[in-house]
Amino acid sequence: MEILSNLFNVALLVATIRTTTPILLVALGGSFTTKAGIFNIGLEGQMLIAAFFAVVGSIYTGSSLGGMVIGVFAALVFALIYAVLVVSFRANEVVVGLALNILAGGITVSLLKAIFGTRGSVVGRGIVGLPKVQIPGARDLLGPSTAQLISGYTPLVYVAFLAVPLLIIFYNRTRLGLYIRVVGEKPEAAEALGISIVWIRYAASLLCGLFAGLAGAHMSLGYITMFTENMSSGRGFMAVAILIFSGGDPLKVLAGCLLFGFADAFSLRLQTFGFPSYLVLAVPYAVALVALFALSWRARPKRIRETVETIRRALSVHRSGEADRDAPLPRS
Amino acid sequence: MTNRLLFRGLFSKGLARTLMGQALAFAIALALGAIIILLIDESPVAVFLTLMRGAFGDTEKIAGTLLQTTPILICGIAACIALRGGMFNVGIEGQLFLGGFAAAWVGFAFSLPPVLHVLAAMTLAVVAGALWVAIPAFFRVRFGTDEVVSTILANYIATLLTSYLTIFLFKRPGGWSETPPILPSAYLPELFSFSRLNIGLLIGLALAVGVAAFFRWTSAGYAVTMVGSAPKFAEYGGVNVRRVGFGVLLVSGAVGGLAGGVETLGVHHRFMEGFAPGFGFDGLIAALLANGSPIGTIFTALFFGALRAGSLLLEVDTTASREIITVIQALIILAVSADLMMRRRGDRTGERRWKF
Repeated sequence: MEILSNLFNVALLVATIRTTTPILLVALGGSFTTKAGIFNIGLEGQMLIAAFFAVVGSIYTGSSLGGMVIGVFAALVFALIYAVLVVSFRANEVVVGLALNILAGGITVSLLKAIFGTRGSVVGRGIVGLPKVQIPGARDLLGPSTAQLISGYTPLVYVAFLAVPLLIIFYNRTRLGLYIRVVGEKPEAAEALGISIVWIRYAASLLCGLFAGLAGAHMSLGYITMFTENMSSGRGFMAVAILIFSGGDPLKVLAGCLLFGFADAFSLRLQTFGFPSYLVLAVPYAVALVALFALSWRARPKRIRETVETIRRALSVHRSGEADRDAPLPRS
Repeated sequence: MTNRLLFRGLFSKGLARTLMGQALAFAIALALGAIIILLIDESPVAVFLTLMRGAFGDTEKIAGTLLQTTPILICGIAACIALRGGMFNVGIEGQLFLGGFAAAWVGFAFSLPPVLHVLAAMTLAVVAGALWVAIPAFFRVRFGTDEVVSTILANYIATLLTSYLTIFLFKRPGGWSETPPILPSAYLPELFSFSRLNIGLLIGLALAVGVAAFFRWTSAGYAVTMVGSAPKFAEYGGVNVRRVGFGVLLVSGAVGGLAGGVETLGVHHRFMEGFAPGFGFDGLIAALLANGSPIGTIFTALFFGALRAGSLLLEVDTTASREIITVIQALIILAVSADLMMRRRGDRTGERRWKF
């Protein structure tokens, strides 16, 4: 029991919220492209390049905001390249996405060596982390242990969680949101309505880059202020997995991200209990994989229902036809 | 490109246009690469010359290039098989790691007569690779779970799993994160005395020719190509699309495992953590660059192998990082994908289907 209470406590919830943030940001970004009918596997690279340039930017500008802006800008450049190739040149989105991921990995490592003269990672050197927001009065009102649930995070944590309801409103109540959905769901209808599919997809791609950039900035300037080679370590791909089974729906995205954030935080916690770190590190990926399989398996009954429905319809048409044909026979 | 289209392409101006476009894409990619090299304060010419010297400077360097080419080629063939069947096996990296570990385990844990030992180790490597892809493949064909994402996620698990097995269960006492060395009876025969280059290269070449022949001259190969390029047509023609899709991924995974086996038995003679970083991805992009053609993959793999071998010298002779070659590779893929690869079919509303 003591082990359990050590495993599950407020600190774990706080850790969950922290680890959920980058994956939530990047997944919400991906929801724009998913809704617009683009399968964006390049999230990982956009996040990584943003994380690197956020670090560079924060050193050069001396402020975390400057770092964030430059990081987001880098992600936007990647998003633009992606959009140009996929939307305008109609290249294969998987190929372009994977190539951009590889490009991000290569560029960050090359620049790491060129700028900082090191391999592996860059720590210190005047990197300015994002400030922590203390909500005034939270401590007095809720007490110190509960207060840390809502107060003391970096601004991007609040941005990420507030973005969920905002995105719901965006998709349901704004023109651009509706256009994005139409382009994704019924491109023919969008074309008939005179909506420019190309521009909507560009807009969705750039919005995606914005969020992926914020996610990257949070990774390198949030709770740890450093950049490491390949520090996105598959979070972009987990986000894609979430997007596949959520269909880009903000609430489902949130649910999926909380699941992975929890798996992440929980596996870090297990590590301190002496479980082999390699197996523990694999837990979030395994959770993502199992969720992906389980939810595609759950989608199956619907398809079977539909098939049964069509078969029944086909049979009933057939039978009624037969009945018509059979009917005159006895008479003759 | 289907065989038929490839055939037609060979004898029309289509090929000329394809090659022209490919050359243009290469030129653009190299120009962009040169700009990036300038940005990191290096001379593109110096980097290029160093790469060339590192790849083809002398006999040993050439052998080194071929040594790097071998796993890329075998992984490339694995990718080709999947691509031709309309599948993206991005999990070759993971299959490579598991295959490598499985082969090493047979190599050090059992003692068998020479040839039999190699065969047993290779068989287990192949089985490990196939098993690793079997679950994503099953869900892909049965429930339509996207194989790109599931195989990528499986890569991370495979890498961590092999690290765990190596470090926690089979670590060589006193060594780094590596298993005990395999017995000499499990070594792949080396081709020359001055290099670790081994018959793995010949295995890769034979595989490329064999797979090309399979797609070119057998009806099963034609069925696979049709499943990849026109699944509805294939289904109408009586092909079991699901079974072919599953088989294609399974064989692709098996070849990925084989690549790992060749790498451990031929080069390292043990399994080390992170023993073959990025070979799976290099193989995939080599196959993409070759448009899914096994014979073409021989040349693209050689190109990437040369880049890799050259990059070892890059780190010594210039201030550039060796990862600059992954930048060049990615740029080439991006430039090529913009125009010629997998031209999309469909109208402006964007029906997605890749073609070979």
